[in-house]
Amino acid sequence: MDQFLSYINQFFSYIGQHLFLIFGLLAVISAAFLVFAKNAVHSVLTFLAAMICIAACYLTLQSEFLAVAQLLIYAGGIVVLFLFVVMLVELSKFKENRLFQKQTPYAVVIVMAGVGGFMWMFRRLIFDSSASIPLTLSPELSEGLNVANQNAQSVSRGLFTGYLLPFETMSVILLIALIGAIVLAKQSRA
Amino acid sequence: MVSMNTVLFISFALFSIGVLGVLIRRNALIILMCVELMLNAANINLIAFARHSGTVAGQAFALLVMGLAAAEVAIGLALVVALYRKKDTVQVDDINLLKG
Repeated sequence: MDQFLSYINQFFSYIGQHLFLIFGLLAVISAAFLVFAKNAVHSVLTFLAAMICIAACYLTLQSEFLAVAQLLIYAGGIVVLFLFVVMLVELSKFKENRLFQKQTPYAVVIVMAGVGGFMWMFRRLIFDSSASIPLTLSPELSEGLNVANQNAQSVSRGLFTGYLLPFETMSVILLIALIGAIVLAKQSRA
Repeated sequence: MVSMNTVLFISFALFSIGVLGVLIRRNALIILMCVELMLNAANINLIAFARHSGTVAGQAFALLVMGLAAAEVAIGLALVVALYRKKDTVQVDDINLLKG
């Protein structure tokens, strides 16, 4: 019995060390389902799964505030918008039901070539085990900021001191997007 | 312990799938979702390097990218709806007004 419990303990500690990899692979799998799904609603649902897995990845990288923001913005807002539009647009009535474009073989070849080129360029970084740097905080840097413990505070301090201009510009961009979306989606009275 | 290579690999895979989806799918909605996927892959990298360097700049930028993604989705979906009203299609290869 004790042996069994220790095995379970080892198993969970092993999983705990590889949480990022697990959720990242889940995100990649659901992204692949997104691209190759036949039904658009299934695509939206796998998009939701991918976003939740990416939020979990953010959590394992110790950025709790961004994980919650990701859940709120993507799972709460954007997925619902996508679902609304998918249900608004009647996809079944189009005369051609091809899923993929005519240039699909060329596109696949180009993407594969890009992946291969990346692998070749970074072959030493990827396959040399000494190059895999563990992602730890250097203590002298993290002491002042305390990123791990007070994530929201440190992010907002960075945002409102060093990056105030981009932040304010973002508010203007959001306003423009709001007005633009209303103008585009409005029925024309002509 | 998360190694840098794992993060880079995962984000690279997500980005490649996003590029593939944008290139091969006909449905404009799925193309928009794939663009979101690419933005998220970039976000993972930003957060990982923020953690690696111990500063918050990367996290602040990731937050800004999220806001930008929300704006982009609002505009993109409004475009799709307007297109569906005018041309009765959301398939991108049916929209060939500029084709010579």
